[in-house]
Amino acid sequence: MDAVLLGVSFDFLTAWGFWIGVGVLAGIYGIFTLGLQLNVGFTGILNFGQAGFMAIGAYSAVILVVDVGIPFFLALPLSMLITVIVGLLIGLPAVRLRADYLAIATIAFSEVIRITVQNARGLTGGNQGTISLELDNGRFFNETWQDISRWMTDNLFDPIGLSGNEFLNLPLLVVVWGVLIILTFALARLVRSPWGRVLRAVREDEDAARALGKNAFFYKLQSLSIAALLGGIAGWFLVLAQGSVSQEAFEPIWTFIGYAILVLGGLASFPGVLFGSFIFWAIYEGLRAMELPLSSDKDAALRFVFVGLILILLMAFRPQGAMGKKEEMVLGE
Amino acid sequence: MNEAASAPAPRTPAPGGGEAILEIDNVFKHFGGIRAVNGASFSVPKGSITALIGPNGAGKTTLFNIVTGFYRPDSGAILYEGESIFGKHPYAIARRGMVRTFQITKALSAMPVIDNMMLAAPHQPGESLVGLLAKRRANSRREEEVAERAQELLDTFNLTKKQDDYAGTLSGGQRKLLELARALMAEPRTVLLDEPMAGINPTLGRRLLDHMHDLRDNKDVTFVFIEHDMEVVMNHSDEVVVMAQGETIVKGLPEDVRADQRVIDAYLGGGGSRDEPGPEARVERPDRSDRGGGGGVTEEEA
Repeated sequence: MDAVLLGVSFDFLTAWGFWIGVGVLAGIYGIFTLGLQLNVGFTGILNFGQAGFMAIGAYSAVILVVDVGIPFFLALPLSMLITVIVGLLIGLPAVRLRADYLAIATIAFSEVIRITVQNARGLTGGNQGTISLELDNGRFFNETWQDISRWMTDNLFDPIGLSGNEFLNLPLLVVVWGVLIILTFALARLVRSPWGRVLRAVREDEDAARALGKNAFFYKLQSLSIAALLGGIAGWFLVLAQGSVSQEAFEPIWTFIGYAILVLGGLASFPGVLFGSFIFWAIYEGLRAMELPLSSDKDAALRFVFVGLILILLMAFRPQGAMGKKEEMVLGE
Repeated sequence: MNEAASAPAPRTPAPGGGEAILEIDNVFKHFGGIRAVNGASFSVPKGSITALIGPNGAGKTTLFNIVTGFYRPDSGAILYEGESIFGKHPYAIARRGMVRTFQITKALSAMPVIDNMMLAAPHQPGESLVGLLAKRRANSRREEEVAERAQELLDTFNLTKKQDDYAGTLSGGQRKLLELARALMAEPRTVLLDEPMAGINPTLGRRLLDHMHDLRDNKDVTFVFIEHDMEVVMNHSDEVVVMAQGETIVKGLPEDVRADQRVIDAYLGGGGSRDEPGPEARVERPDRSDRGGGGGVTEEEA
């Protein structure tokens, strides 16, 4: 029963499969943006390379399972380690740079990773993505996850009537949001600790922190490495959600989407990231309901125009974002 | 470039009998064509209050920045407690017990006053990720100690009522006091104060000076301060070092310095009238890219 009114179809409002998909994306990019929040909102470093870290996490996990043949649950911590090491290696030269140069250096790093992934076909599957790697090796990254997902459906969701095709991604939604919420709590505690206090001092004035005996460089390096780790975890979930990934998933625009989420939710608030991610994806995907006489690419561009409009209005009327603290807006001063 | 710094120097007794805690020997620093510090040398006796004075552009703040590691000197030797601190990072120097305040206050506006204070406390295991996870009890015990000490100091400086407010809401004078209180939270053995009295009302200024004397007398803390208020300099310092054109021209007791013709010349421009600034009153504009230990200190006046 299509309810079409003024070119807008409201069918999607009751489409569970659609909203579960939106929720998974919101969760994945929520984890992704927690890292940006730690960097931008609490350390004052402009990390524009988060998509690069996501790529490292995603590809290292897939390669370890599919190519090297390491069990799924061993590959995940190993891929975490790899992502952190890459974060440290990038951070060592980069965090010495002034804010704007750091932004340029990290975006360049992210593009180097993406273009390398695109061209190292033997290792990554190139433009065809990880699926070609999986087909070549006859091993699939998300086999283990599929088993878990089936078990969750059979034992947890089926008894309460949440089964069938529409609810296929419900287990992933639960796991992604579970991880997101745990990480949010952990990070919120971390920034309230003495460690976080130093981080917040560095965010505002590195010289003041240094004059009090704090090694600002080391704290910025730690912050970037943790962000890299969070980007890597988001990367695994992206592979699980999409079945396979290719380099397009790590274009710089995905980092900017992270920034849009950050601005919506507000700086210096981890719960704001959850809210921002949910709102961003609900609006962005919800706008698919518009049925305009436009080609699909123009339709997609128009959805970004709407998101941009919302961000402009937010900046005009609530610059600290939904849950941000005006008093702690330090960047750009 | 720094042969003198690498050579271990014996502890030299400072004039006045006390052991020198800080020794600055022939330190040079130039920014482009400007020689901001041009062979400065003096020593600071342990447990003393030393005033560093001089006309605008004499190189006082630059020298502070060098001593605290924010600028890397071109050459010379700097010894703290008998060990070279030449080229050390600011945080490493602060950890050795020498902390500073800034001419333009660096109160952390986006943090509550109490967090500004607690930040400065040393030996907090919770400031490292490993310590945070592995030494949870030691971490919370230290937090309690630090919070208590912070309350005491805030009380001393009349800031108790403001402790939960963001430091950005404080007045200029209150920020100055917060910065000093925060420096004292770091449990320093030496404190370098850059114009501590500027912008503070006389009552609180008196309290600050009393506290300085109290710390010197009872805890053997050494103070070096840059100050333009001659009444404060003459009445509250044990020794006065005068800088002009990047050089230390006179060092001695306040009353001797006051009468020294070289000092009068430096301030008045070699016998010129009081209305004319001296020929050496240069304005330093240090190249911000030359930041030594990676710091960038806004220097409005050296």
